[in-house]
Amino acid sequence: MTATCPFFAGSATAVAEPEYTPYEAPAPLPGTYIADWVTLEDLTRDPFPTFAKLRQEHPVPYVPAAGRYFVTRYEDVHTVDNDPDTFTANERGSLMKKSMGHSMLRMDDPNHAVQRATYGNVLKPKAIKASWRQVFEESYERYAAVLREVGPGVEFVHHFAGPYAAENLRRVMGFENATDQDMIRWSQTMINGTGNYADDPDVWAEAKRSYDEVNTALDEMIAHYWEHPNETLISNIIHTSNGDEVTLANIRANLKMSIGGGINEPRDAITTIMMGLFGEPEQRAAVLDGTRTWKEAFEEGVRWIAPIGMYPRQTTREVELGGTVLPAGAKLGVVALSANRDESVFANADRYDLGREKQPHLAFGGGVHFCAGAWLARSQVADVALPRLFAEFPGLRLDPEQQAVETGWVFRGMTHMPITWDA
Amino acid sequence: MPSITYRRVDGTSATVVVDEGTSIMRAALQNDVAGIVGECGGQAMCATCHVYVPEGVELPEVSDDEDEMLECTTSDRLDNSRLGCQLLAGRDFDELTVDLPESQV
Repeated sequence: MTATCPFFAGSATAVAEPEYTPYEAPAPLPGTYIADWVTLEDLTRDPFPTFAKLRQEHPVPYVPAAGRYFVTRYEDVHTVDNDPDTFTANERGSLMKKSMGHSMLRMDDPNHAVQRATYGNVLKPKAIKASWRQVFEESYERYAAVLREVGPGVEFVHHFAGPYAAENLRRVMGFENATDQDMIRWSQTMINGTGNYADDPDVWAEAKRSYDEVNTALDEMIAHYWEHPNETLISNIIHTSNGDEVTLANIRANLKMSIGGGINEPRDAITTIMMGLFGEPEQRAAVLDGTRTWKEAFEEGVRWIAPIGMYPRQTTREVELGGTVLPAGAKLGVVALSANRDESVFANADRYDLGREKQPHLAFGGGVHFCAGAWLARSQVADVALPRLFAEFPGLRLDPEQQAVETGWVFRGMTHMPITWDA
Repeated sequence: MPSITYRRVDGTSATVVVDEGTSIMRAALQNDVAGIVGECGGQAMCATCHVYVPEGVELPEVSDDEDEMLECTTSDRLDNSRLGCQLLAGRDFDELTVDLPESQV
C-alpha cells in the first residue's frame, strides 16, 4: 500500500466531468422496414404483442419512436452480444454517459476489461457465502417486519422489494454514509436521465443532484476505506487499482452505473417471479414442496420478463442483421424482453413454466457485458427473499381488493403490487 | 493448426480446427457447437462452458477464479471438470477431446 490514496478528489487522477456530444445517427437505408406504428405508450403498457409481431414479420425494424433499430430475435441478440467489434457498447451520444459518466458498460475490451477487473471477486459466489448472504438475511428481516407492521394490503414494491434490493446494494458497495432511500433516489433519478430523450431540464437537474451527491458520498468513503479496508466493493476497488489505468472519474462512473443497475433488477425480479407463481398454483406448490428449486423459479422468472428489457449498441460498419442492412453508426435497441420470448427457442414463451426445456436465457446479457451482479441477484432473490416470504407469509397472494400494475419496456416489472396473506 | 473434439452425452461429436490462442469455449461459439453456452464471454463469471477433460492430459492447474465458478456448474463437478474459457488451443494443448456435460444451465 502506498502512503497516499491515488483516488482522493483533487489528487493527480481527478476528475474530468463527463463529455457529452449529441449524435445524429444516419438515416435508414432505402428498403428498410420502418415500424412507424410502434408507440412508446404501447411498449410501456404491454410490449409483448408488438415484439411478437416484429419477431414474426420484421425482426430488425427501424422504430422511429425509439430512434433505434430493434433487435428482437434470440439468435440476432446472441450475434450482437458476441461481436463487439461490429456492435460497440461505446455508443456515441449516449445519454447514460451524460447522466452517470462514462462507465465500463459503455466501453469495449480491452478498456472495459481493465475497469471490470477492479470489481475483483466482490460480487461472486465465495464472497456472497462469506459476507453477503448474511447481509441479505438481515435486510430481509428488516423489511419483512415492515410488511407485518403495515399488514395485509401493504404495497409490496415500495415497502419491501425496492428497499430490500437497495439496502443489499448499499452494504455490498459500502456506502456507510447513505441510506436505502438515498440509494433508491440516486438510482431512479440517474436512470431517468439515461432515458431523458425529451431533454427535460427538470430531469437533468435531478440526475445532476444525485450525480453530485454520489461523488461526495464516495469521496468520503474512499478516505475511510483507505485507512480501514474491508470486504466492500469500494474498498476492493481502491486497494486493487493503482490510479494509472483506472481513475477516480472511472470509479465514480462505474459505481453510478452499478447503483443504476443494482436496484431495479433484483427488485423487479422478485415481483415478477411472485406474479409468475401467483398465476401458476401447481408450479408454486412444486417449488414449495421441493419438486422444483427456487433457482429454477428465478431463472424462469427473468426469462419470462427480463428486468432489463432493452439495452443499446451501435454499429461500427455497415452490416446485415436479421435481414436488415444497417448503416455504419446505426443505433440499436437490443431487446432482451423479446429475445426471451422467441418461440423458436422457448415453446409457449408467454407462459411462466418451470417445466420447460432448459435453454439459456438472455436476461443477464451475454459476452463481456454479462451482468456482474448476476450472482448477487440470484442469492438475494432465490436464496433469501422468495423462500422466506413464501414460508413466512402463508397464503401470500395479490390483494384482490386493489389493482396491481406492471409497466415498462426498457426496464419492466411491477410498479405497484398490493399483497395480502393469511394473518 | 490445433483441433478440439467435443463429445456429447448422446454419443454425437464435433471436431473443429482453430487458431492458436482460441479457448475451448470460444471455438465452440465460433463453430456453432451445441452444448457450450459461454454466457460471460470468457471472464470466468458464469460456469456455462463446463467440460470434462480426459485423464492423464497435462493441463495448467485450475486457478482460484476457475475453481470458484466450477463450484457453480449445473451438471456435477467431477475431478476432471474444467471451464472451457480458461484453456487455450496452442498454449495449453494442440489436440484435445472434451466431454460435454448433460446441461450448462
